[in-house]
Amino acid sequence: MNNILIVAAREFRQIAGMRSFWLTLLIIPLSMVIGGIAPTLFHKDQADRVMVIDRSGGGEARAIAQRFQLDHNRDVLTQLSRYVQRHHLESADPGALWAQHDRWYSDSDVAQFVASGGVASANVKIARVKPKDVSEFEAPKPDFEIVPVPASLASVPDNGLDDAVKGVLKPAAKDAKPVDYVLLIPSDFGKSPLVRLWANSQPSTSFMGAVQEVLTRDLRARFLATNGVSPGVAQTATAIAPALSISTPPPGGGARESMLVRSILPLLAAYLLMISLMLSGSWMLQGTVEERSNKLLETVLACVSPEELMYGKLLGTAGVGLFMIAVWAGCGLFAAYATKGAIADFIRPALDPLTSPATILALIYFFVVGYVAVSILFLAIGAMSDSMRDAQGYLMPVLLLILLPISLLMQAVLSGNSGGVLIEVLTWVPLWTPFAVLARLGLGIPTWEVIATGAVLALYTLVELVLLGRLFRASLLAQGQKPNLREVISRMRAVPR
Amino acid sequence: MSVLSLERVTKRFDQVVAVDDLSFSVEPGTVFGFLGGNGAGKTTSLRMVLDIIRPTSGSIDVLGRAPGRANAPEIGFLPEERGLYRQMTALDTIAYFGRLKGMAPADAKREGAALLDRFGLSANAKMTVDKLSKGMAQKVQLATALVNRPRLLILDEPFGGLDPINQGLLEDEIRRLSAAGATVVFSTHVMQHAERLCDRLLLLARGRKKFEGTLEEARAELPARLNVVAKQDPSKVGGVESAEDRGEAEPGWRRWDVRLEPGVAPGDVLERCVAQQFPLRRFEQLQASLHDVFVHIVGTPETAQ
Repeated sequence: MNNILIVAAREFRQIAGMRSFWLTLLIIPLSMVIGGIAPTLFHKDQADRVMVIDRSGGGEARAIAQRFQLDHNRDVLTQLSRYVQRHHLESADPGALWAQHDRWYSDSDVAQFVASGGVASANVKIARVKPKDVSEFEAPKPDFEIVPVPASLASVPDNGLDDAVKGVLKPAAKDAKPVDYVLLIPSDFGKSPLVRLWANSQPSTSFMGAVQEVLTRDLRARFLATNGVSPGVAQTATAIAPALSISTPPPGGGARESMLVRSILPLLAAYLLMISLMLSGSWMLQGTVEERSNKLLETVLACVSPEELMYGKLLGTAGVGLFMIAVWAGCGLFAAYATKGAIADFIRPALDPLTSPATILALIYFFVVGYVAVSILFLAIGAMSDSMRDAQGYLMPVLLLILLPISLLMQAVLSGNSGGVLIEVLTWVPLWTPFAVLARLGLGIPTWEVIATGAVLALYTLVELVLLGRLFRASLLAQGQKPNLREVISRMRAVPR
Repeated sequence: MSVLSLERVTKRFDQVVAVDDLSFSVEPGTVFGFLGGNGAGKTTSLRMVLDIIRPTSGSIDVLGRAPGRANAPEIGFLPEERGLYRQMTALDTIAYFGRLKGMAPADAKREGAALLDRFGLSANAKMTVDKLSKGMAQKVQLATALVNRPRLLILDEPFGGLDPINQGLLEDEIRRLSAAGATVVFSTHVMQHAERLCDRLLLLARGRKKFEGTLEEARAELPARLNVVAKQDPSKVGGVESAEDRGEAEPGWRRWDVRLEPGVAPGDVLERCVAQQFPLRRFEQLQASLHDVFVHIVGTPETAQ
């Protein structure tokens, strides 16, 4: 055992002494930070400026402005509701609209929210129950801002606007803010459905949707009124809309957002297992090839048995992989509990599964056994190869065999699909079992299946240790050409010396 | 009690017999030479002693035990094909092998540092192996074999690839260890090293033992030869097989290349010359080289393969 630990410690130190190891170690925390700030980088920090030249009396411009305000308030209410749900703050006011998460907020809901004090009032209530480490809710910025029509444009006739609006869309003055959209509602709007839009870039879908809905509603009201319906009834008819009730079942049932937040940890574990295995496995492969190509093996084998060498290498590599995971997990925990912001808000709910000892046990078991089961493949390849070039010949098919089905698995799990023939097959084939079970843990996988696949994986790993152990031992001092399949099988069947 | 003994050991690889019914023993404190051409079975025999491979039949006893890693703390081994971990420092490399041989970390480091100092490498102790010259790396490799102060040092073709300075260093280390009571077994096909260092020799050809004994006993396998200056033909003296005239040495005296009959000692021939009043001006015994002995017993190194 002592020799195994000495070999393992040397393997660990050798890999930890590589620059690529430390660069790789930093990639995940760095990508977490980038992932956290990326949305803010991509998000426009200023509202689109909209100018409405309403020559039909001003009613359409007001309706559009009201619609923008309504949409913004709905957005605020939705975000507030998600914030309250994520941090379990419903006790601040159980009757409030933002404490009810299973609904689509209607126009009247939004009006009620604004009438009851909006975000300011909600924040006061939430502050009474909010833990100190939970960041305060920040309302999203509005998407659109209505800007007044300057006198220089107001007096320009419709047919002269093409030239006139250029000055506001692309102003010559450096400090002048450009207008994003100029909308002309002609004086005969109603009789004619024609409106004109000038934009300094491709119009956004949300802008077009809002404007179209407001103007369509007005045109329909005018049409109904023209056909004998009273203006009040006509107006009401255009506002009729279904009340949508949204259900978000807990993990195991399926809704996308719930799965993504609550099952991110198992899925992340599957990803990390894959990444750390590929990295540490290839480093171990390099080390084993180095021992062969540098003719070190005979010296080593005079001191340790082939079995001790193999187990030491496996232990050292598993140590490297687990060290990487520990560092990444430490960074994640630090981000979750020592920082505030988007990353913390994302990670903290993802740690929910860790309250269950069975989940923790399953995570650790499939991670560690999966590590050994796949690492030993790299070790056997290293023992059969005199150079990295030799090793590539074996490595590529093995990597494809492991990675291709896993990428399909990840896509299936991300789309909320926890069943299906492919996923079941991947769950029961031991080479892919650790990845499949880890990925499915968040979606929900029957306990009996976890236990049964765990047992199959253990059996497979034992058989693999015996057969690949023989291959490793028989290949260590073998010289000459790369063994073909028959030779590989013959080495696996060879009883030790 | 012998330090190492092999009893009727045979090793087959498929249809090839690498070692064939080999028996020998090595006594404590001796320097034992394992001689043979390429493919004679030297490396295979040493690997079996170290338990890297196991014999097909026969038994091996190392330091009173069966071959195995339990012997590692008392054995030093320098393989024919050598290499080191390129990214490890010289000192860490020596200490690592010391630890694999059961040494405590501090002892392994201390002994490693002492060896590097003795080999003139103390300034390079913290350098990684890939930055050392080939000669320096060879010294580090030797230190990995010596770090545990072995009772039995096994060297497989130790002089191959060494520069003359390191060959001298290795010869000194072998003598030093032998003087300290350790046993050294080394294989070689370079006879000069064996001639200078070995107390006992074993000659192998195609896996079979051809000779085992001291250097003198090996030389006795060849008929003795004399360089004689005499007035008359010495072939008539008893014990002389043949005498070849090599020309005049000085006026009235001729030089003769004399070959004795097998088993006849030069001293006996000299005694007969005196008794017969056979006039002599020179009676010089020509000592056979180990190379001559090797060729005589197993053929040329090439034919021995």
